[in-house]
This record gives sequence, structure tokens and C-alpha cells, in this order.
Amino acid sequence: MGVTREDRVGPRRGRRAIRGALAAACALVGVHAAPARATVIDTGLLYYGELSRVTAVEAVGSLRQEFANGRTGTLRLVYDALTGASPNGATPARAAQTFTSPSGMSGYRVAPGTTPLDGTFRDNRVELSADGTLPLDRLTTVGLGVRFSGESDYHSLGLNGSLSRDLNDRNTTLSAALSFDHDTVSPQGGVPVPFSAMPAPAPSSGEGEGEGGGGPGVGKDVVGAVLSATQVLDRSTLLAASWSVSRLSGYQSDPYKLMSVVDPVNGEPVRYLYESRPESRLRHAVYGQLKRDLGRFTLDLDYRWTGDDWGVRSHAVDLHTRWDLNDRQFVQPHVRWYRQTAADFHRLFLVNGAGLPDHATADARLDAFTAWTFGLKHGRTLANGHLLTVRGEYYHQIGERHPVAAFGDLRDFSLFPALDAVIVQVGYSFGT
Amino acid sequence: MMTDDVTLERPAAQGHWTGRFTAMASPCEVLIDLDDEAECRRLARLAAAEAQRIERAWSRYRDDNIIHAINTSGGRPVTVDPETAQMLDLAARCHELSGGRFDVTSGALRRAWRFDGTDRIPAPDEVRALLPLVGWRRVRWEPPVLTLPTGMEIDLGGLGKEYAVDRAAELLGRETAAGVLVNFGGDLRASGPARSGAWEVGIEDPEGRGAGLRRLSVSRGGLATSGDARRFLLRDGIRYTHVLNPRTGWPVRQAPASVTVLADSCLEAGLLATLGLLHGREAEGFLREQRVRFWCWRRPDAA
Repeated sequence: MGVTREDRVGPRRGRRAIRGALAAACALVGVHAAPARATVIDTGLLYYGELSRVTAVEAVGSLRQEFANGRTGTLRLVYDALTGASPNGATPARAAQTFTSPSGMSGYRVAPGTTPLDGTFRDNRVELSADGTLPLDRLTTVGLGVRFSGESDYHSLGLNGSLSRDLNDRNTTLSAALSFDHDTVSPQGGVPVPFSAMPAPAPSSGEGEGEGGGGPGVGKDVVGAVLSATQVLDRSTLLAASWSVSRLSGYQSDPYKLMSVVDPVNGEPVRYLYESRPESRLRHAVYGQLKRDLGRFTLDLDYRWTGDDWGVRSHAVDLHTRWDLNDRQFVQPHVRWYRQTAADFHRLFLVNGAGLPDHATADARLDAFTAWTFGLKHGRTLANGHLLTVRGEYYHQIGERHPVAAFGDLRDFSLFPALDAVIVQVGYSFGT
Repeated sequence: MMTDDVTLERPAAQGHWTGRFTAMASPCEVLIDLDDEAECRRLARLAAAEAQRIERAWSRYRDDNIIHAINTSGGRPVTVDPETAQMLDLAARCHELSGGRFDVTSGALRRAWRFDGTDRIPAPDEVRALLPLVGWRRVRWEPPVLTLPTGMEIDLGGLGKEYAVDRAAELLGRETAAGVLVNFGGDLRASGPARSGAWEVGIEDPEGRGAGLRRLSVSRGGLATSGDARRFLLRDGIRYTHVLNPRTGWPVRQAPASVTVLADSCLEAGLLATLGLLHGREAEGFLREQRVRFWCWRRPDAA
């Protein structure tokens, strides 16, 4: 017995590499791989670009550590840089339009006939979150998390806790979670009073200056609860369902969104008011997921319904499929369909002299629309065992551009700002 | 064997209890990082019962189990239980992934080959006559119904012990949050480290000389060894290892005497170790491509 060899990792890419397929086959007989790595580090860089609008670059780093007795801890840091323009809610007009910030200290001009975009949008956001799981006994796990995010004019602090229990020989998992979030918005120049008039431009105002934060803020509280169940149907099929409810209370208007008050005859803007949303919102969501693992092919079908007392109801169907091309590479096509109804108080504009409703917003995110997402992700295990992923997605949002409510000049303009966005994400993860 | 044959001990210097029993013709032990002796006894008995349950189900030396029913079915279809069905699925997948090298029907070749250290090499005709009785492709597997042609044999022994190790480890993992190491005759699985740190595992010299050649620290994952250095035939200076190629009926040329693999589960480690052996001269290259830690032992005189 002479030669003893020890080898760890070979540099060659293996045509004969079958380990992944073997592990998958072992999982089908109920033998699951122990997470062989005690520490996993994920990093990622995401680019989000709307055509001629907002651009965001996001860097994400996370560290997950396993401790003895099943305890785990995860730390996550996200940094976003956003620049660009987003619709301010006002309608297009025949003449050029000038808008000012809540402070009146900065402003921007919009060309005739185009969707008014606020080009002063520029911010950096940092989010830090930490969570951990702690087994109470062999079938019960407690999870706790805390999250903070901050940007110049917006801060958010969240806490969450969950309790989950395995039943039925671990084929069923039930869990309940509670969360609390407090958000503060503090635009420079103060928070606009709902339906107050946009201030007249200050004489020295320039164009395209970023809005700094630091004004007095207003807050919003969100209390949420989720009940969920996961059921293993057979050795390759998993079914999950959840119901969640959340109550939002406090200031929920967008301090940068306006409403055009238009002339009742020609539809041209007479003045601009800040939008006004209700101070309370109760949302429900129902979610179902079917996951099927067929060896080299995995199917993940999700459906989510949401509804709230603002009148926004949505359906989303999400389909991910994953093909293992070989034991080192996979591709994951993705398609998502989303449709929502408009909030009861959504108006494209207000009519001069017609009196103010209780609430109104022209924010396209609260209008009725349909959106499609198409994406493809490619993952590859490198020679050093690290995983490199590249994801590309295209998002296309469709709404009513010429609604029947339009009159006068408004009939000539597109009243739904089309939105097309591209997402490119690169991820790199490794463990020790 | 009764589960009461489990013995429990805790050497003074150690924080964990060790339960010992015999199953699958191997010494078995379960190391549990708990102080509660009664709980450790209960857990060790659970592991022993699981090992014995799997041994009863798939041992080819019994006449009261599904393997016996299949091997004596005389070409008639046999409906198998769900757990056996999963194992046959795995066997089919391994056959496919290994290009036919891994085959749970190669048992018939044992009629010609007896690796007893002598020089009794079978005649080529004798081996050739057995080949029609070997080959997963001849089996009709329409889950959960298996039809095995008369004269053929199924042997899940190459999977059963490693599967039992993983099952026992996962069973204990559901019962306790403590670190556990399950070791059935050298095939083992760790689920979580001990409070004092990772489990220290020795990989033995396959010829059984003295202490382990290598020591490694394992807190999670499976370790398994394939090969038996004591089983061979020697003739005209050529050593025939006991690893048979089911496609030719002859020993795999230049196979390592033994292969040990560290992977995520014991079953995966065992399958990779067996497939490594079946790759003969290319064992190391094959295992390198699987990106696992492995140890191959070769004899200087191996044919």
C-alpha cells in the first residue's frame, strides 16, 4: 500500500462531472445534503434602467453564518444609487410647464406635449439588516430580524419576528410572523400639505438640482402579520400558501407628486396641487406557490393576489423554470404577468371649479395597468467552486393612454406614462 | 438483533456519549453531543432501529424481504414499496450517469468471481455466459413495478449502508438539536459539530494497519469508503481487484484498492467513491472533476 493521494479541486472543467446530478438524485431518496458550508457570502451588483428615466445601481453583500445547534445569522448590506427622472403626476400640456420643489428653491421645466418628469430625482440609499434563527426545540424555530434603511429624505426602521413549527414527520411547516415598520419622510422645505398649491418658482431657482433632506418629517407605521403553510406533497413537489394582512397608518402621500387642475373646457393646466392620499390603508394578500423538482428541471409557479381598502386589487403570476445544462451550469427563464386595478381616488387630473374630492392622486403606480416581465438567468460554478450568476430582465408596463375621461387638449396626449425597464444583475457567492 | 444490544459510554475526557451496536455486518456507532444519558440512549436506539430496519429491508441474505421477492420472482412483475422504489430510481439514475458502470444487477457475476486471495481466475467463457444475466437495461422498471428476468439478481447493498447512515443522521437531527456523528462501519455522516468543535475523523489504511492514516475535522457532511484491499485474486503477477465492470464481466483494470470521499451526504460520498473505483486508472481524474475531497489508495503492484 504505497501511494496515497489527496486532492481537493481540479482546474479542468469536467465533462464527467456528475456530482450535482448525483446530489439531486440522493435528495430524491430523501437524503439531503448537509449544508457543507458554515459561512456563505453573497455579493451582487444590479443595474436597473428605465428608458430615459430612472437609473439605479445597487450593490448587495450578505454574510450568512451557521452556528452550533442549528442557529443561523445573516447580515446584509445594500447600497443603492438612483438618478434620473420620474413622472410627477401632472398631465402633459400644449405649453411648456415649470414645476418647483416643496421648498420653492429648485425647479424644472417640461417641454410641451410630454409627460412631466421630475428630473431632480437623485438619491443614495443604504440598507442594513440582520436576522437570525434559533431552534427552540427539534421542531420549532424562532426567527428575529431588524432592518434599517436611510436616504437623504426617507428613513425606515423595521422589526420582525416569526415562529415556525414542523408537523407530520416534517412534511408540513406552519409559521406565523409579525412585523412592525416605521418610516419617516422629510423632504427639504417641509412636507407639503395635501391639496396645497405648488409654490411659485423662486426667482433664483435653477434647474435640475437635487433635493437634499433635512426638513421636518412625517411618519408612517406599518403593522403586518403573515400566516403560512408549506406542505411536501411527494418527493419532488412542494406546495406553499400564505395569507397576510398589513395596516398602514400615517402620512402616505408622495411629497413629490402633483395633480394638474385643468381648465374645464380645453384641459390645459390652470395650477398644480400636491396629491392627497388617505392616512390609513388595510391590505390583504394571498399567495400560493407550487414547486416541482424533476431532476435537471425545476418548475416554480407562484400566484399572488392583493387587495386593499383603497380599491387596488392585483393579480400576479410568476413562473420560473430552471434547467441544469450540466453539472456546472444552469439557465433560469422567468416570466411574470401582473395586473392591478386603480385606486378609488386615482384621478388623472382635477377639473378647475369642480370642487376637491376627499383624496386624489395621479401617481401611475396607483392607476390600473398590466405589466410583463421577461428574464433569463445563467449560473455557473467556477473552477474554484464559487457561483457566478448573470441575470437580465425586461419589464414592460401597459396602461390606458387615452382614457375616456380625457377632454380638450388632453385627448391629444398620452396620459399613461409608458414604462420600460431593463435589469441586469451579476451575482457572486462563495462559502467557507 | 434487538436494539437492547446498544451500549452507551462516555469516556471521561469527552463531552459526548457514544452508542455502539452492530448492524449490516459492521460495527456501528453514534456520537451524540448531549449530557443527558437517558436521552442519548434513546437516540442511539432510534439509530440502531433504523439501521436494522434498512438491513432487514434490503439485505440479500434474508428470505423475507423485497430483495428476496425480486430475486426469486422468476421473471414475474413485483410491486415494490415506496422506499425501495426511490432506491431503484436512484440506481437507475446512477446507471445512466455512470454510462452503465454502476449497475445493481452485477450480482450474477459473483458466481464466477470469488475474491479469496487465490489464483482462481474464471475462464472467459464462464464470464461470458453470465453477461446476459447482468445489465440494468434488461430490467423493466415501471415504478412501482419491477420485472427482473429469471436468473438476474438485484443487490442494493452498494447503496444501503450509506443510505442508512444518512437516514439515521437525519432522524436524529429531527430529534435533537445537538451535534451528531453517525458512523456505520467507517461510512459516516456528521450533522452539526460538537460543542467542543468539529468531529475528528480518521481515515484508515485500508489494509487495517494501525492508526488512521489521515485525520480530518468534519462538522457537516458525509464520508464513505469503497473498496476492500483484502479482496483480490493474484495470478501470474497480476492482481485482480474485486471491482467488476458490469459491461465486460471482468475486474476494472488498474482500479485503486480503496477510495474514500468526503461529500455533502454519506450516500453521495459512497456513490462517488464507488464510481471512482469503477473508473479504474482514471479514478483520480474522475474524482477531481467532481470537486470533492478524496483519498485513493493504490498498490504499487496493481494490475
